[in-house]
Formats: sequence, structure tokens, C-alpha cells
Amino acid sequence: MAATTNALPARRTVVRGWWVTPAVIGFGLLAAWWLLNLVIGGKCDDQCVVSTLAQALRVATPIAFAALCGVICERAGVVNIGIEGQMLMAAMVAYATNLFVFQIAKDIIGPEAAGVMSRWLALFTAMASALLLAALHAVVSIKFRADQIISGTVVNILAIGVTGYFYRQFLAENLPPGPGTFPITPVPLLAQIPVVGPIVFQQKPLTYVMLLTVVALHYVLFFTRWGLRTRAVGEHPRAADTLGVNVYRTRYVNVLIGGIIAGLGGAWFTLEAVDVFNPQMTNGLGFIGLAAMIFGKWNPFGALAGALIFGLGTSVTATVSIFRPDIPSQIPQMLPYLLTIIVLTGVVGRAVPPAADGQPYEKS
Amino acid sequence: MSDTSQTVGLGFRLRNALRRVLNVLAMPALAILSAFLVGALVIWITSGQFETIFAAYGGMIRGAFIKQRGFSETLVAMTPYVFLGLGLAVGFKSGLFNIGVEGQFYIGAISAALVGQAFTGLPTIIHLPLTLLAGALGGALWAAIPGYLKARTGAHEVINTIMLNYIAFRLVEFLISGPFKDPYATAVQTSRISPAAELWSFYAIPQRLSDPLNALFVALILGFLAWVVARWWRGQSGADRMAGLQRRVPLLAAAIVAVLSFALLPPLTRLFWPFQDEYDRLHVGLILALLTAVAVWWLMWKTTIGFELRTVGANPNAARYAGVNITRNIVLAMAISGALAGVAGTIEVLGVSICRCLPLFFSSGYGFEAIAIALLAKNNPFGILAASFLFGAMRNGADLMELNSGVSKYIISLIQALVLLFVAAPAIVRWMYRMAAPRRPEEEAPLTRGWGG
Repeated sequence: MAATTNALPARRTVVRGWWVTPAVIGFGLLAAWWLLNLVIGGKCDDQCVVSTLAQALRVATPIAFAALCGVICERAGVVNIGIEGQMLMAAMVAYATNLFVFQIAKDIIGPEAAGVMSRWLALFTAMASALLLAALHAVVSIKFRADQIISGTVVNILAIGVTGYFYRQFLAENLPPGPGTFPITPVPLLAQIPVVGPIVFQQKPLTYVMLLTVVALHYVLFFTRWGLRTRAVGEHPRAADTLGVNVYRTRYVNVLIGGIIAGLGGAWFTLEAVDVFNPQMTNGLGFIGLAAMIFGKWNPFGALAGALIFGLGTSVTATVSIFRPDIPSQIPQMLPYLLTIIVLTGVVGRAVPPAADGQPYEKS
Repeated sequence: MSDTSQTVGLGFRLRNALRRVLNVLAMPALAILSAFLVGALVIWITSGQFETIFAAYGGMIRGAFIKQRGFSETLVAMTPYVFLGLGLAVGFKSGLFNIGVEGQFYIGAISAALVGQAFTGLPTIIHLPLTLLAGALGGALWAAIPGYLKARTGAHEVINTIMLNYIAFRLVEFLISGPFKDPYATAVQTSRISPAAELWSFYAIPQRLSDPLNALFVALILGFLAWVVARWWRGQSGADRMAGLQRRVPLLAAAIVAVLSFALLPPLTRLFWPFQDEYDRLHVGLILALLTAVAVWWLMWKTTIGFELRTVGANPNAARYAGVNITRNIVLAMAISGALAGVAGTIEVLGVSICRCLPLFFSSGYGFEAIAIALLAKNNPFGILAASFLFGAMRNGADLMELNSGVSKYIISLIQALVLLFVAAPAIVRWMYRMAAPRRPEEEAPLTRGWGG
């Protein structure tokens, strides 16, 4: 079965140095910058540049969460295209929890404390709901050995159905105002650094969580026993099994942790970005996250880089549409998606996934 | 095989055939049943009343079949599903997961809308095929892009087609609200297509046939069909043994049918025509869908092209070893798949939309449901017809269900997801009904492959 992964060899194998990808990215960024200035006529001053970059990091947050979820699942050999659905579900649950807990708690402990409580509680219910969908995906694809892409599609459709259903039944009518999103929380000291401070350290909490997750996942994957086992299960489950690694348990644990991470990504939509929910909210960001994962060659830091590129694409188009309202908004809106395709095919070329990625494992 | 069929009795063979059919149908039927049961549970829990289940499902059935024009609306809703399901099935059979049928649907729709309004005064015999072709071509090209990228660079089609979906939505939105906005309409939409490019509704057929060119068009199509059927019949009864006149049976049949229908259809339909409801939207796209299902079956199972596509899908290594051009086949499979999706979009514009144009917010949400249809039917074209009918009925009945019982029509998506789940993992259904595992392992060809393949 492993042979199917190289069924279609690239026309030529190019041996290239480690510096090629960063160089291409750097060059691309410079070119994009030049183009941008051409389009908006150099009207973007330093303040605007900083805010565009900060916005890029903000938008990259859910994409990075999705990509990290993908990394942790696929390193263990489980393809998860249900991330989009998990995020959508988490977004709805977070919104509903935030709203209803606040309504109950505000009379008891006052609106200020109730807002804090409801937001953090919402974060946990969001993670729990995404965990539930991840568990479904895990059971169907690991225990019942169904096709993993189909199983992920099931998760996606199910999330559309469930969120749409509850939205129409309970959330669509006129609701009392909620407690709002997380406030911007600057990190003490670090936020004072001239350029980096306003970009990285004056964000909302989930962005920090995302950055920490990247570091933690990198450490865990490459420097702990669990990471080694995960990678072994993703590359050659039979060998790992022979050496006493419990393949099923490793896969279950990874998919479930991935669900928690996806839940954080979903919570971003309704706890950090905006204080409303709508059924088309995730808008393909889960899939873009998967593209970021492939772009990052299944490495956490690479995935973050991929997410940042898409975040940058989105924030730059937002900036462009501020300065050039005459350009129809749909044209720049296409760019992040176009960028994803170009990145997937051009820059990465042939990314090599974990060898057992997407293959159900049957203990013999 | 032929020997045993002659020696054993007819009753035995019938029973055997029946058992085989039941075996094939058991799993999908149980999957559908289970999905509706779980859906009922959800309705019960969320509404707090047991009766709501009956109100909801009763409303769905009445909306789909019993209410005025309910049944014909179900057939109307079924038509795009057939094309999209067939598109996905062609992809699946070729080892490709074309999750982007929705985008191809949009591109097909806009291509058809633009070509449909571009000419005025062309006769139907030219304009309608041209418009259908434009829609198919639009979808095919849109789908060929990720096919080519996959074949050349290995970029996975799932991601790329989804990205192209979003690009297609924005692009179509831009085209409708920008360069091709109908300047005379209050709503944001494209201009109305020429009446000659419309797909005829069943109601209007007698009136359409009064134009001799249209009658000629129909006669040619029927003649062609007669030719195909006669060829098939001749193939069944051994063509080699025939000589002389018998050899020309197909051509003769085609000529006779064409001449007869050209001469007789217009007056006959004016004398008697069963579809007299002016507001009935049932259109000839349904017939096109049935014919396309047969055509796809023929293409995939009876031709070399289909054989190559299925070989690439089943085992690309073996296919390459046997000298099959994989790049070409991947692009071809995506193009066929996209063309079918494009035709679905075309039909929505030419036959269904009230304004006979492409309006903004032309949201269909067909794409994901088509996946469930193709899998439910196990990629069999005739199974897709049945599954499409089921899904069309659910979609059509959903509105009355919501009105009747207050249950949101999103419950349909939930049920469809469950159907897909149970079909994708038959072990769950077997576990639910305590069924024994099949003695022979089921023939479960890998539907999709990982990122690399």
C-alpha cells in the first residue's frame, strides 16, 4: 500500500538546498509588497504596515490551529479533513455557551465577572464539542476502518447540519446581547518592544495559545517518546506495532488532541473575531489550514509559516480594499484561495506525507 | 454460466436473482432507515414532544409527494443531484475525490447564462445544444485545473477543488454583480437567456413543437435514440449472422422513428397532452438526466476509456505498468466529472430558475449532498438515480416539514450526513442490528487515496 504514495512521480527530482523555500517565500513577500504599493499608491504608512501585519497574525490564528490539528492527526497516519466541521461546531457551541452562561450569571455575579466566566467556559465547551466530532472521526476511521476522507466529509456535513439546525431552532431569533469577545491583552514588557511588540504581543489570548501550541507541538513531536511513537505509527504502523507501540491508542489519542486544537480554532471565530455566529462562518479556513499543513511539510513551525502566508494574504487584501474601494471586493477576496493553490503546487512541489497517512490499520 | 442457467429451473434463478438484489439493497436501505431513526431521535429530544416526529416526517412526505405539484417538484429537485452524483461517481471510480462539484456547478451555470443571453434569434436546434455545451465545457475546464495540477505536481485534488469552489463563488458573484449585471432588472442577476436556449418545461412541449425546426430537433434526437437502441438490440442477437437488409436495421429504425415523430408528434401532442399545469416546473432536464445516467454507465463499463479510468482508480501502479497514461486519465476523469457538474448548473439556469437567469445568492448546497448520493449508490449510475430521487424528495419536502412542525430543515443535512456515515462504515450498521459479518470480505475498493497518490 505504501507504494501508492509514489504512484505518480514528479517529472524530475530536484535536489535543492534548505534555503530554497525560505528564499522563495522572502522573494514572494517582497514582490507582493511592491505590487501592493503599486496598487494602493504608497499610501500605507508605518502604522498601517504594523496593523496589517498584526491583522495577518490574527487571521492566521484559526488557520494555524487547523493546520496543527492536521499535523498531529496525520503524523499518526489519520487524514482529517473534518477540521472545518469541527471548527464550525466549536464556533457555534462557543457562541451559544458564551451567550447563555452570561445571561444566567450576570445577575448573580455582575456583568464584568460573568463575561470573563462565560468566555472561558465557552472556550472549554468549544473544545469539548470539537472533541466529540473528533471522537466520531476517530471511531469511524480507526475502529471501523472507513475511508478517512469520507469520514472527514461525514464530520463536515454533520457539523453543517447540526450547527444549522441549532442556529435555526435556538439562535436565529432576537437574542439579548452577549458579553462580547475576549479583550486585547498585551503581554507585559514584551508588548513594549518597538515593532514586534504591537504585532505579536498585543493580541487576544487565543493567538498566544496558538503560538505556544506550535512550540509545544514541535517539542512533543520531535523530542519526546510520545512524539517518536506518533511518527512511527504514521510512517510504518506494522513496525511500530511489532515493537510494542499500541497503534490504535496512539491514533485515538492524537485525533482527540487534534480535536481539542481544532476546538480552539473554532472558538477563535466567536470568542475572538466577532460576537455573532452564522452557519457559513468558517468559510473554508479549515481546508486552508490543511493546505498550510502540507505547505509546512507536516511540521508545526512550517504549518505556522503557511498559516501566516494566508493570514498575510487576507490582511493585505483588506488593506487594499480600504485604500482602493473602486476595486470590486470579490477580486481581492479570491486571492487567499488562489494563493493556497499556487503554494500547494508551486512552492512545495511534491510534499511527502507520512507514509501510512490515510491508511486504516488492521492489527494482524 | 449459461449451462447452469439452462439446467436449473426458472424459479430458482428468479429467487437467486432476487436474493442478490436484496443483498445489494440491504445495506443502503438499513443505512437510510437508521439515519431517519436517529433523525427522529434528534427531533424528539430537541422539540420535547414525541408527536413532532410524525408532524415532521409526515410534512416531509406530504411536501415531497402529495401536495399539489409536490411530486413533480421532487423530480425537479432530483435532476441536478443526478448529474452531480454521476460526476462524483466518475471521479470516485477513477480514484479522484472531486469535492469541488459545487464550484463546477457555478461555473457551468454562469457559462450557460452568458452563452444563453449572448445570442438572440438563433433557433433552439442550435442554441440549446450550444448552451448545454458551454455549461459542460465551463465545468470541465474548471475541474481539469485541479486534475492537471494533481497529475503534474501531486497537489491533492481535495484541497485544490475546495479552493476553486471559493474562487468560483467569488468569481460568479463578481460577474453577476459587475460586468454581466442585467441593467434592466431590479434584482442583481444576469440578463434573461434567449427563449430558444431554455429547457422546455413539459407543459410547453406542444406549443414548442408547433415550430417545425423544434419538431425536427426532437425528431433527430428520437431518431438517434432509436438508432442506439437498435444497435444494442442487434448486438444482443449476434450481428455477424445477419446480412443484407438486416444489417441496416439501426439506420432504418432511426429513419422511420425520426420521420414518424417529425410528422406525427406536433399534431398528436396538440390533441392530447397530460401535462396541462402551467405552473408545473417539470422540464426535459429530467429526461436528459436519465439518458446521461445510461450514457455514463456505458462510458464507464462498456468502453476502453472507462476501463482505463477504472483501472487508474483501482490501481494506478498496475495501470502505469500496463502503459496507461495516468496524467491524461486523471485530467480526463476530472473533466468528465466537471462537465457533468457543469450541466447540472446549466439546467438550473435553463430550466429551473424563475427568471431564466443566474441570480446572485444562487446558493445550492448541492455539492456535499452529491457526495452522499454517489456513495449511497456505490457509484452505480442507476443507484444514483434512486438515491437522487430520495434526496430530491427530502429537499423538496423540507419546507413543508419546517412549516408543519417547526423543525428546522437543517435536519435534512443531519440525516444525510448520517446516511453517508452508515454507508461509509457498514460495520456500524451491522453492529447496530447485530448482523453477522459477511463471510467473504466485502469488495471495498479504496474510494480515495491519501495525499500523495
